[in-house]
Amino acid sequence: MTALAAERPLSAHNGTTPLVSLRNIQKHFGSLHALRGASVEVYPGEIVALVGDNGAGKSTLVKVMAGVHAADSGEYLFEGKPVQVRKPTDATALGIQTVYQDLSLCSNLDAVQNLFLGRERTGSWWSGGRIRRAECEVRARELLTRMRLGNLSLTRPVGAMSGGQRQNIAIARSILETPKVVILDEPTAALSHSAAEGVSSLIRTLADQGLGVVIVSHDIHHFVVNATDRIEVMRLGTNVASFKSKDVTGEQVVNAMVGGNEGVNLAG
Amino acid sequence: MANTLTVDAPARRPRRSFGELLSSDLRALPIVIGLVALGIFFASQSDVFLTSRNLSNLLVQSTVVGIMALGLMFVLLVKEIDLSIAAINGITSVLMAKFIVEFGFSPLIAVPAAILFGAAIGSCSARWVTFVGVPSFVVTLGLGLALNGLQLILLPPTARYGLQQTGIERIALTNISGVWAWLSLLVGIVVYAGLVLSDVARRKRAGLQSPVIQSVVLPIAAAAVFGSVVVAILAAHQGIPLVVLIFAMLLGVGGYTLNSTQFGLYLYAVGNNEEAARRAGIKVARIKMAAFAIAGGVAALAGVIAASRTLGVGVFSGGGVGGGTLLLESIAAAVIGGVSLFGGRGSIHAALLGALVIGTVSNGLNLLGVENEVRLIVTGLLLVLAVSIDKLIERATGHQSF
Repeated sequence: MTALAAERPLSAHNGTTPLVSLRNIQKHFGSLHALRGASVEVYPGEIVALVGDNGAGKSTLVKVMAGVHAADSGEYLFEGKPVQVRKPTDATALGIQTVYQDLSLCSNLDAVQNLFLGRERTGSWWSGGRIRRAECEVRARELLTRMRLGNLSLTRPVGAMSGGQRQNIAIARSILETPKVVILDEPTAALSHSAAEGVSSLIRTLADQGLGVVIVSHDIHHFVVNATDRIEVMRLGTNVASFKSKDVTGEQVVNAMVGGNEGVNLAG
Repeated sequence: MANTLTVDAPARRPRRSFGELLSSDLRALPIVIGLVALGIFFASQSDVFLTSRNLSNLLVQSTVVGIMALGLMFVLLVKEIDLSIAAINGITSVLMAKFIVEFGFSPLIAVPAAILFGAAIGSCSARWVTFVGVPSFVVTLGLGLALNGLQLILLPPTARYGLQQTGIERIALTNISGVWAWLSLLVGIVVYAGLVLSDVARRKRAGLQSPVIQSVVLPIAAAAVFGSVVVAILAAHQGIPLVVLIFAMLLGVGGYTLNSTQFGLYLYAVGNNEEAARRAGIKVARIKMAAFAIAGGVAALAGVIAASRTLGVGVFSGGGVGGGTLLLESIAAAVIGGVSLFGGRGSIHAALLGALVIGTVSNGLNLLGVENEVRLIVTGLLLVLAVSIDKLIERATGHQSF
């Protein structure tokens, strides 16, 4: 059941190469065997959901993808080629960005400052590192307009914004450097139903532009089955089922999560 | 939800409510009103209060605490605290005096050395905080006491170094008067206007509009009027005291650093969300070290000024053992001015406004012949009141201040 990822039917993708493919990943934390041959892959324009109970290994798996944890063994392929991803900067260098659940925003800074934090354009040395605010603002406006977030305020502190707006800014920050893959950790966890819908339509907009999206979520019934393309179910550190989102109900996914449907593989 | 609407990018800002303004651009309003009220009260009680001689005095009296608060602000912004600034103030000024009096060094060497030494002490406590992981409260409390002891050891048996005729006393005695006073104001305004205009020019080049009245005329005119009033008052007495000019320049450089530079932005980011800052690639330990170094260096400079005003150093330098009122008033000034102890919040004018409030209370009560005890009580109550008003505004408007 574990090492089947490579053989899994891929008819939906007609032979295109996955952007990222993790195969047969093993990971120990001391005596804890967190990942026992887990696999996941994401194609351009595809939204993949990783679901599972607490401790199933989905967070560990995306952290391996993001370079936060290095895998003990297993294959990490980027656009079909094996790569070494052992720290977060390795992943970002490849074009893999992560939006953490806490969003990693500074609530006292505005949208532009948050979008560019750590990547500001500054003037020459004698200006003492004066930030080229106007340039950043123009680029921020372009980016947000492309994401259909054109009317988001650029000058209010993000702490004064709604949860949905903050989530959108965090996502915008992740695609500032035009990555190929974005990993979203619980993007709708703290959001109202309507805000979650806003976020899922934003994620769809990004996927339509060719981005691969990996989402870790507990929000099966509303978010996962409606807003994603494929659902990978994990349990005890390994993949137990794979669904096409449009073919399943939330109950089926939950069943697979808790073990009611062991070994079922409905993909393809 | 915003994201299905609109595509055009309106450069117009939406009109903001008064509550929102109070928690952002007008955050200093309550404290300014308080300061004016204090001024009116003391003016009504004493004929002397509003004389240019007294106002000039008030400004000079406020500089040491103001400069200390300005440096401390950098540390408070990154969510740390430095309780050793008063001790740094003391020990660096004693060292400076020792070098000048006992070893015959020129003040031109001793003063910069004192400032560098203060910065070095600050950066050492930052290293201890970031590498060992001991809270800055503990590190700097202990360091402050240790430096107090060292200060006593460094003093001669007479417990005092006199600094008359060494050149140091001239810092406090120098006044920039007449045409030079106005010229220095002009330089200040031109530099400020240059910064404002270059910002607007850049925005224009980038295709962004900015309202001319609001973002160009108003700030420059306000700066010019405010500066002219201050200089007029000071010129009517003896001119701009050099120490006031030093404080003004520090405020200018500090304001530019906090508002416009990458380092300034990183201070706010680290203080608000250290983990996010680290994930964004900011070298958090280095930013903190710089903040502590600035606080230490600036405290040493305040120590030099204090030594110059009192014509010597001794046990009393740096507020005496434990930092005394110097330490407490420096922290109070920053907090009254609106700097948060929880990091990431506060603007440069906090140091000025806070120091002016404390200076006004002390100066005004002094004129009324009120005892020192009352001054402490009033200052303490004002501190609690200022922070309470801030909290009440936050609660009433529902806008958290940043």
